[in-house]
Amino acid sequence: MKKRIFLSICIVCAIVLVASLILILGVLQSSFSNQLLSEVKSETNFIAAGVEKSGIEYLNTLESVDKSRRITLIAADGTVLYDNMVNASEMENHSDREEFIQAKENIFGQSKRYSETLSEKTVYCAKLLSDGNVIRVASTQYSSFSIFILLAQPVAFIILIALILASVLASVVSNKITKPLNEIDFDAKEDKNTVYEEIAPLYSKIYSQKRTIERQLEAAKEKQKEFAMITDAMSEGLIITDLSTDILSYNSSAPKLLGYTGEDAVGKSVFTLNRTPEFTNAVTSSLSGNHTETSIEVNGKTLSVMANPAIKDGKTVGAAILSLDITEKANRDTLRREFTANVSHELKTPLTSISGFAELIKDGMVKEEDVPDCAGRIYNEASRLITLINDIIEISALDEGTGNYKTETQSLKKIADEVVSSLLPIAEKRGIKMEVCADGDGIINGSREILYEMIYNLCDNAIKYNNENGSVTVCISENQNKVLLSVEDTGIGIPDADKDRVFERFYRVDKSHSREIGGTGLGLSIVKHGAIFHGAAISLDSTLGKGTKITVSFPKQN
Amino acid sequence: MRNNFDKQLENLNVELIKMGALCEEAISLVTKVIEEPSEPMRIKIFDVDSAIDDKEREIEGICMKLLLQQQPVAKDLREISSALKMISDMERIGDQASDIGEILPFIKDGSAAGKIHIGDMASATIKMVTDSVESFVRKDMDMALSVAKYDDTVDELFKKVKSEIATLISKDISEAEYGLDLLMIAKYFERIGDHAVNIAEWVIYSISGVHKTF
Repeated sequence: MKKRIFLSICIVCAIVLVASLILILGVLQSSFSNQLLSEVKSETNFIAAGVEKSGIEYLNTLESVDKSRRITLIAADGTVLYDNMVNASEMENHSDREEFIQAKENIFGQSKRYSETLSEKTVYCAKLLSDGNVIRVASTQYSSFSIFILLAQPVAFIILIALILASVLASVVSNKITKPLNEIDFDAKEDKNTVYEEIAPLYSKIYSQKRTIERQLEAAKEKQKEFAMITDAMSEGLIITDLSTDILSYNSSAPKLLGYTGEDAVGKSVFTLNRTPEFTNAVTSSLSGNHTETSIEVNGKTLSVMANPAIKDGKTVGAAILSLDITEKANRDTLRREFTANVSHELKTPLTSISGFAELIKDGMVKEEDVPDCAGRIYNEASRLITLINDIIEISALDEGTGNYKTETQSLKKIADEVVSSLLPIAEKRGIKMEVCADGDGIINGSREILYEMIYNLCDNAIKYNNENGSVTVCISENQNKVLLSVEDTGIGIPDADKDRVFERFYRVDKSHSREIGGTGLGLSIVKHGAIFHGAAISLDSTLGKGTKITVSFPKQN
Repeated sequence: MRNNFDKQLENLNVELIKMGALCEEAISLVTKVIEEPSEPMRIKIFDVDSAIDDKEREIEGICMKLLLQQQPVAKDLREISSALKMISDMERIGDQASDIGEILPFIKDGSAAGKIHIGDMASATIKMVTDSVESFVRKDMDMALSVAKYDDTVDELFKKVKSEIATLISKDISEAEYGLDLLMIAKYFERIGDHAVNIAEWVIYSISGVHKTF
């Protein structure tokens, strides 16, 4: 625009300059010719006066002074008597010349003649003398073109200066015109064009478009923020990738879940976050258009990863990968699987024996005298089954809280003594010493039935998992607000890894020897539920190979 | 043009991550089989190894194509040339994992391995391989340097294992063959550690342009 304004100004200047030059030349020429005419007129008068006084001699004296004018003396009949430029005798008769005729008639005459060949205009003035002769003075006048040629150099110089001046001015002016355009403020609060009236519609349009774009951008940002807030609040990890596995967007949970601690992952490959084979396969498969679900292990957590293809116009353009922490669920699943397996195993073992012996008797394979023995075995296994089922019922009752248990003041010492005396024969068989050390009676509020079961199971375990000639100590003590019951043995101990799990139903540390040891696998589970019933806490302290101490701390009776 | 080149470079990066992940898988399979012998898992080591070999050829192809078609310079060239070097180290890691896999059936059970620090060596090397791949993924110079330093730990463990095996054999000559197998495994682990250091060196080279050897 600046360039255009500059050029326009320059062109206009040049045109004006040339036009004025032509006009000036025309005006100059006419004023020159008028001036020349009046000069020649007065010169004619002077020379005529001179000739009147001194005759033709005067003309000869003039000849030596100045030759810029042509002076001719013409006789009354038109014969040329004298001419200062050409030999008079060679000249033709001048009687037909206009100025001569005029002078003859009016004493003074004048005329202009144009010579094509010389491209000159000649001005003639003639005056009638008293002796009838006519004196004529002629002068050459320049044409416009010759004036132009004459003035060419200075004029060119002037034009040059004018053009330079014009270009400087043009540049200043064009700058001045465009400056406000450059400084238009579209951020102004109101739609008000303060620059040129001509661009008002354009300004309004741009202004309103700018506002619209700003509003839309704001809305888009707001939406993005909202989306980010929603996705960041999710505990699931969400990652969006393009076809080349580059991450387009992700929420804050995603890197945490996938174990990525580096800087911003946008633009990096999703495999930067996790590169386990399951994850890479899931992503690759989703990018080829399949919904894929898999689970991966990251930092000891189990994640379920769902990769969905993003499809646009029938083509896969990327993938959305959702990952959830299913550690708890996976653990629960394992527990349930184990529980089912354990309970089936525990139920099946006695039943197998029962049906085996029963079958032998039915088929008559057992001698008469051996029948009582077989029947005894069947009876034992059946009792074991009943015990097991009773245990399950009891634990369910405790679990559901449906059991009808009476709570009254109980002495833990008394119950412990009873348990010890009932278990003593079994313990003695293995040379295990049992003792109760009591600091007070350990009075609490509770159900005798459950407390008996709890202490019984604890002592029973302490004997079962003891070494030969070991010892079992049941201690009852009190502190400020608790009554503590502890059962300590000198047995095989519990490995660290299993400590959290021994209270689970049917959980056994040593699965392979469970049958030899006996029991239902529900003992500690009953203890746990009993403790829950009494609002007591259980703590387990065990060293592998040295022994186990289980302490139940009951709340004191009010 | 440049955009296309960037895409190809990114693709190379992704494939390298995948190859690194395969190496990690191979070596973690080896460790698992040492801890708890399992035939299907042991067979899987060989599958992973051949997948690593395929990946190496694939990445080599990508690198050659990039070198020929794009004629990269400066950092791009460094990245590609270090990728070429890295894949050969990764391929060696895969080979050695499968070599260990071949010896594993002769290792009776985990009992002797419990006395000998071979499990520690396995976990130390797995850490080195994981960290070296991780340092590549994150372009993390410090992590790469720590991998190089960690090699000393593996070397120390190797010395320890070596003397333990010597004691084992001197106590009971019938254990000699078993001891030698264990020694081979330990040596393979030690080599895998060295390859992990090489990878870390190439990571450092591709970031800084200086190839240090540790």
